[in-house]
Amino acid sequence: MTVEARSASSVSPAAEFWRTFRRNKVAVGALVVVLAIIVVAIFAPFIVPQDPYDLKSLVLRDARRPPGYVGSSGIVHLLGTDSQGRDLLSAIVYGLRISLQMGLLAGAIAFTIGAVVGCFAAYVGGRIEALIMRIVDIQLSFPAILLAFVVAAMLGQGKSQLILALVFAQYAYFVRTAHGAASAERQKDYVQAALSVPMSGWFVVTRHIIPNSLPPLIVVATVQVASAISLEATLSFLGVGLPPTEPSLGMLIANGFQYLLSGRYWIAIYPGVALIILIMAINLVGDQIRDQLNPRLRK
Amino acid sequence: MASFILRRFGQAVIVLLVMSLLVFLGVYVIGNPIDVLISPDATQEMRLQVIRQYGLDLPIWQQYLEFLERLMRGDLGRSFVYNMPVMTLIAQRLPATLELTLIAVLFASAVGIPLGIYAGYKPNSVLAKSIMAVSILGFSVPTFWIGLMLIMVFAVQLGWLPAGGRGQTAELFGVPFSFLTADGWKHLILPALNLSLFKMSMMCRLAASGTRETMLTDTIKFARAAGISEGTILRRHVLKLISIPLVTVFGLELGSTLAFALVTETIFNWPGLGKLIVDSIMSLDRPVMVAYLMLVSALFVFINLCVDLAYAALDPRLRHGRG
Amino acid sequence: MTHLLEVTNLRTYFQTDKGTIKSVDGISFTLERGEVMGLVGESGSGKSITGFSLIGLLDANGSIQPGSSIRFNGRELVGLNERELRKIRGKEISMVFQDPMMTLNPVVKIIDQIGMAIRAHEQVSDAEVRRRAVEALRKVQIVDPENKVDQYPHEFSGGMRQRVAIAIALLHRPQLVIADEPTTALDVSVQAEILKVVKELVAEMGTSLIWVSHDLATVSSIADTIAVMRHGKIVEAGRAREVLHNPQHPYTKGLLDALPSRSQPGQLLASSATEAAGRMDFTGLGGSAIGADPDAEFVKAVGVEKIFAPKAGFLRRLGIRAGLAKEPKPVNAVKSANVTIARGEILGLVGESGSGKSTLGRILCGIYPADAGTVTVGGQPVRSEKGKLGTRVQMIFQDPFASLDPRRTIFQSVAEGPIAHGFCTRQNAREYVNRWLRAVAFDPAMADRYPHQFSGGQRQRVAIARALAMQPEVIVCDEPVASLDVSIQAQVINLLMELRRNLNITMLFISHDLSVVNHLCDRVIVMRHGEIVEQGPAQQVFTAPQHPYTKMLIDAVPKLAA
Repeated sequence: MTVEARSASSVSPAAEFWRTFRRNKVAVGALVVVLAIIVVAIFAPFIVPQDPYDLKSLVLRDARRPPGYVGSSGIVHLLGTDSQGRDLLSAIVYGLRISLQMGLLAGAIAFTIGAVVGCFAAYVGGRIEALIMRIVDIQLSFPAILLAFVVAAMLGQGKSQLILALVFAQYAYFVRTAHGAASAERQKDYVQAALSVPMSGWFVVTRHIIPNSLPPLIVVATVQVASAISLEATLSFLGVGLPPTEPSLGMLIANGFQYLLSGRYWIAIYPGVALIILIMAINLVGDQIRDQLNPRLRK
Repeated sequence: MASFILRRFGQAVIVLLVMSLLVFLGVYVIGNPIDVLISPDATQEMRLQVIRQYGLDLPIWQQYLEFLERLMRGDLGRSFVYNMPVMTLIAQRLPATLELTLIAVLFASAVGIPLGIYAGYKPNSVLAKSIMAVSILGFSVPTFWIGLMLIMVFAVQLGWLPAGGRGQTAELFGVPFSFLTADGWKHLILPALNLSLFKMSMMCRLAASGTRETMLTDTIKFARAAGISEGTILRRHVLKLISIPLVTVFGLELGSTLAFALVTETIFNWPGLGKLIVDSIMSLDRPVMVAYLMLVSALFVFINLCVDLAYAALDPRLRHGRG
Repeated sequence: MTHLLEVTNLRTYFQTDKGTIKSVDGISFTLERGEVMGLVGESGSGKSITGFSLIGLLDANGSIQPGSSIRFNGRELVGLNERELRKIRGKEISMVFQDPMMTLNPVVKIIDQIGMAIRAHEQVSDAEVRRRAVEALRKVQIVDPENKVDQYPHEFSGGMRQRVAIAIALLHRPQLVIADEPTTALDVSVQAEILKVVKELVAEMGTSLIWVSHDLATVSSIADTIAVMRHGKIVEAGRAREVLHNPQHPYTKGLLDALPSRSQPGQLLASSATEAAGRMDFTGLGGSAIGADPDAEFVKAVGVEKIFAPKAGFLRRLGIRAGLAKEPKPVNAVKSANVTIARGEILGLVGESGSGKSTLGRILCGIYPADAGTVTVGGQPVRSEKGKLGTRVQMIFQDPFASLDPRRTIFQSVAEGPIAHGFCTRQNAREYVNRWLRAVAFDPAMADRYPHQFSGGQRQRVAIARALAMQPEVIVCDEPVASLDVSIQAQVINLLMELRRNLNITMLFISHDLSVVNHLCDRVIVMRHGEIVEQGPAQQVFTAPQHPYTKMLIDAVPKLAA
């Protein structure tokens, strides 16, 4: 069709992308959930009924009470209380805050390392590229959970140690994706065109290759943030993650584990449900983005 | 083809050497090497004797060579906690993990791949959409959490199945296995299911996206234009095309399931390798850690080698291309 | 006796995000037994969708509208269920697709692919399958069919794969074959062979054929009747000779007039697209080429060599030494090429795929280093050890959908080079870019839009403006019209001729299309397997070719039947 101008005004690829994304109601709902959780996590101290880690406000008499119990200080414990009389809802909100923090920080660091190393490898080519990609491939053949577990165990408990372990377990995925995307872009005519002008290598990498390699990286980022959150919970559950002073969702579940068998299900279940909602919402958003970017499904 | 295998084999050896170096540096050098070799409550004389005996006063590269040499002989030291040679300990635990892992992966493939192919074949049907939704759920729920739920529902509430342990075992080639007895199966079901759910979702999603992409290609359109039935197209065209990525994933997942077993084994108190490594990390049983890492590396390298070979066998382009 | 095929008011619509697309919008035609019909149109005309509608293979979002009728041997096909359609497909109506690299399954042996197609309609033994598979391959003139049937598609060339696809389509001696652009993805010489094979087989079997194509010349060499489609409708239909020599509809006339082979070399082509785009405005343009002294050896390449040798890794080198692995085979892309272009001249560089013409073009532009030899423009080298020197040589690429960064606006794409090299400043870039956009008849008001908002022809003009804005003295054009429709192709060719006349730009025009080269170029170089086999003034090469390869190429080009 020789339609001279397809639409009346400037439509950026990002705007076009959002238009398609918007049509999947499930994905939009998931995105709203993720954003809502982020907002709740940021403003946690102003939202929750009780500061769960202010020991003065905890009353042992209120411990292990079922959902709906009205505590001695007059607080309604919507989701019940844990073994120390802590309001579970408040503990979950604080737990989400820590889980999100870990997932996003680890994801952001791994993303940056991956994008830079991957694009660099694709740009320089030759032996350096081969070496970097060989290392990455070898690392990728080891499951993330094993790497994270070993590194976390070697480094000991603590926030920064845990982030390091998560980054170590995940950066390789970003490198491989960035490398794949960047080498595909490097072959394309528009990069060749820029090089034939000639534009500087720096300009070509920063203005052409990196922006066009971002979409697949964003897909990996959603998957990896979700999996970082899950990994963190798993490590904390196993006892090699965060210290008890920084209780993430995984630790709340671990603490509730022993009461599960005695029928006090809520202590372990509700933090788990919160965790699943968060991870699932991120995965749903990622899934839609991936489908939209898959050239083999586009017609 | 011969050179392809040889090349892969050579790479595997190099990877193993690199891994041994990393483990050596990571555990022997960064930590205090003495702690790896003897228990902390040994006397000063014993310490000195061990230092000389293991040549810890030698230059580092010589130490590494000796570490390698001991590795070759299968001498990995003694566990502090269990007070027995690490090799014996691992040999005892390995069958439990292997049986759990294999059953889990086979189950995941047997259920996940057909579901995925269906979901990819009719992506707009209600059933397909439900499969994809459930698979996202399965993909999102952490393994340890599913384990807890399985215990709560089937062991605590319903009381149908045991919550942990290996149950009765029977010997095959002198090795005890649970899957040979009815009681063993009862103990196997929950942990195997737990371990397989995540993999099942993965396999399902992979098969689905592979099928969906393949169905849109000209290859399938051309087959349809020749009047070939949908059943034949699925069996002879689609399955063959998606089997290549699936085999790769199957191999990699076998490895990663082995690693994930450490979570499941901890929850279900399954006396396998995973539980062993978690316990030894908690009790700083370093010889066990070293042995576990080396073993797992060797296992992964072996699996990758198999995947590469399977890949070459499945894809004629590769088979001929690398003569 | 009834017609073999009688299509009445066929309408095929697609539901998409952007509303209903009426790909085929009420077409009617009849086809007799043994008739060969050419279905011609530009991209988006609905010609391929017509083919797929006949055989009942539409994508999930497309459907044949009620009221449409396709009668085949008197039997209505519209409304048949999948089962009944499948019985017809491959047996009575079959289809050949455009890209032979995509149609055969790469992991299934040829014999099994043929076997599946045979068994779709007949119960036969394995031995019978083998016998018929060999027979089928022999029919499409594949050498050594007994051994070839046991191979995989990747061991076949593109032309051979298309032969296999044709063999599969003809297995059951169907009464109708629909061929959807079956030679478009192939080299000219291969295309000629395929055309010959198909023509013979169709005549021998008495099969009717619908040959869908964008290329009037190819169609004219095979079709008895021609139907011209545009925007989902048939605008003109009739005997091939009538349509080609006495077109009634202005659109058909326009298509024919836009063909370079129908007009005098060097003259502007009649192009409705040129008129639609508006005037090219050359006011206020600069460039050191304007008014420069003549120079017969302005661009000079001496002894240029390029070898692509895969580097052997450490282990592979060990293997080679031990005699276990083979030495990687170096690919000699360009062999001692000597090229000169006079200032203001357009030199055509012709060759089939794999001839090394693109590589040579990129070496002349300074993008690739040459392994040996020198390239100079106006006496100065185009490339140093470190990279490209200067901006005097610019390049235009084949695929306008790939040659613009999808994430940058038209303005950003055109402006980046001139800003970086000081032809304009960030402040006056807007005005500077607009001048060059106007030169290629692109409305500057649309400069803030993104490439995906434009058609292929518009994008190609932007790509030309981007090259021009660097005020080059030489432009290397790598197949700039290969992926464009005829009328758009004519527009771009006209543009290039105007640029040479107004700006005195020297050009290297790389193409596989001999008629375009003949029309546009002053001199021609013919390349084959990395070697220059012939060169000379265009008229001389095309009328009196010296090298047998050049002769073969020229003979292979389909010509409009006289």
